[in-house]
Amino acid sequence: MGILEIHQLSKRFGRHEVLNGLDMDVPEHSVFGFVGQNGAGKTTTMKIVLGLLKPDSGSVTVCGEKVAYGETKTNRNIGFLPDVPEFYGYMNPMEYLKLCGEITGLTKVKIKLRSEELLSLVGLKDQKKKISGFSRGMKQRLGIAQALLNEPKLLICDEPTSALDPIGRKEILDILLAVKGKTTVVFSTHILSDVERVCDRIAVLHSGKLALHGTLSEIKESHRHNGFVLEFSSDMEASLFENTEELKQPSISMSRNGNTVTAFVTDHDMGGHLLLGVLSQKRIVPLKFAVMEPTLESLFMEVVQ
Amino acid sequence: MDLAMLKEYLPFLIPLVIAQLALGITALVHVLRHPHYRFGNKVMWACIVMLVQTIGPVVYFAFGRGEE
Amino acid sequence: MRNYLAFLKKEIYEYTKTYKLLIMLMVFAVFGITNPLVAKLLPEILGSLKTEGIIMTLPEATAYDAWTQFFKNATQMGLIVMVILFSPVLSSELSRGTLINMLTKGLSRTVVILSKYTCMVVVWTISIALCFGLTYGYTVYLFPAGETANLLFSTFCLWMFGLFLLATLLLAATLTKSNYGCLLITGAVVVACMLVNIIPAAHRYNPISLATDNMGLITDDIEVSSLYCTILISCLLSFLFLTISVLIFRKKQV
Repeated sequence: MGILEIHQLSKRFGRHEVLNGLDMDVPEHSVFGFVGQNGAGKTTTMKIVLGLLKPDSGSVTVCGEKVAYGETKTNRNIGFLPDVPEFYGYMNPMEYLKLCGEITGLTKVKIKLRSEELLSLVGLKDQKKKISGFSRGMKQRLGIAQALLNEPKLLICDEPTSALDPIGRKEILDILLAVKGKTTVVFSTHILSDVERVCDRIAVLHSGKLALHGTLSEIKESHRHNGFVLEFSSDMEASLFENTEELKQPSISMSRNGNTVTAFVTDHDMGGHLLLGVLSQKRIVPLKFAVMEPTLESLFMEVVQ
Repeated sequence: MDLAMLKEYLPFLIPLVIAQLALGITALVHVLRHPHYRFGNKVMWACIVMLVQTIGPVVYFAFGRGEE
Repeated sequence: MRNYLAFLKKEIYEYTKTYKLLIMLMVFAVFGITNPLVAKLLPEILGSLKTEGIIMTLPEATAYDAWTQFFKNATQMGLIVMVILFSPVLSSELSRGTLINMLTKGLSRTVVILSKYTCMVVVWTISIALCFGLTYGYTVYLFPAGETANLLFSTFCLWMFGLFLLATLLLAATLTKSNYGCLLITGAVVVACMLVNIIPAAHRYNPISLATDNMGLITDDIEVSSLYCTILISCLLSFLFLTISVLIFRKKQV
């Protein structure tokens, strides 16, 4: 059973259908990347999970409990970081975390302990400034601290890295990696390199449904095309290889770009043997002979097209 | 108003002036330190909070102050 | 309950930090001092304007005049300032999204509305008490002979009307997105109450009588008992508005 389960979720704004029967399952202790284009419905999904928006149909379960719209008890298990977190500008970080702690019902001692621990985790330990004077990155980090305050079983981050510079992004990703293991993290993004860096599972949201989901390696495995990339040391060798008579058959299609030839075959093993046979027959030693690996980007492009 | 009268009303005037000044100065400091307003500019708001007694600061804090 | 206290503390802290508490107190303090002063000085100022040929008979100012000023200022400027200052009570949090962090931390929406109402009531109570105290002190100082009837009851009525107005304001805030919308609805309710008061039969049941009958009360022209019904209705309406606000806010998409 997953820590977050979404079943047949639908939501429309006016005539625009944002979610259309979305099914999703987040297992415990994973870092779950929720990928989609801008406007694909990532924020909408998260807000429904938090009970801030009312779904048209479908259900959401967090830790086995059903989420009710409006007033929901399930939020006590969730830490949430909004895309642009906003705080009471007249407080300093310590005061803000104290308020959050009192609201979630932690004891005084615990609040102090957790606040100090988290502020040092996000690097705001000795910050006595008012939050109104904070930069975007500092607010984002304080946002993570407040989301983790009640030791949630599920941490939901809405595009935590989109608005940040490369250093700020790295800091946020490092924090997410650091809390992995203690809590399950779901974060939405459209930056694919971030996903590859920290996620072990991904789901791609497209036209209101999951177009793709599973662990990163599973997805790559299942979307592997039976293709090989061959790189030659010279143009002559490449053209010699490309124009071999034996390879001119319907089960093989080839394309050439400079010294690199890409060959798609219908059967992985048979095709591979055939290509290797040709190479040895023509006495060509390629610089590189590799199975074609799909990149997350190519996968993403493929499913959203 | 002669001096005797002024003296008679001193117990009124002192707290009154203190209250008015407290309002005006708090608002003025805020105007000068937060140079973002929903409308108008610094000079305008400085004049309003100092010259329009009582109502000036109220209007500034209610409508004129920008976001934090 | 703990949530309620924590959020109430935050509200009060917010009013101090955003100077709203200071403004309320100062404005009401200024009124409190000005009321008896204006009452005392008005005849003298008018007297000094007296020109030859026109004979003005000006009665000596009394404590009654000071309280006239008090009820005039407090019911007009005082309530207007209060409504203006409190109008962003929800819109400021909703438009900036500061409430989202609190709600996702498990803060109940009912608690949000109740603690916001409590905080406004506390600020209003302190302000009106300060204004009353100052007017009272200076009136005793200026007009030692003055004796005024039903003073506390009349002020209580005004305070009660403040509670009704704040409940209206909060309901208006849950219905609209901006503080201007909130001001508009609250204003419309007050105007509607005034219009209803044109019908004499409605007078006894209209909450606004609590803010218009004050003068009659202190001159003993209006019986205290005639307002009991109004007080009860105002209480019930405030309670009703508050309940509706909670119900609406619980289902509001934020």
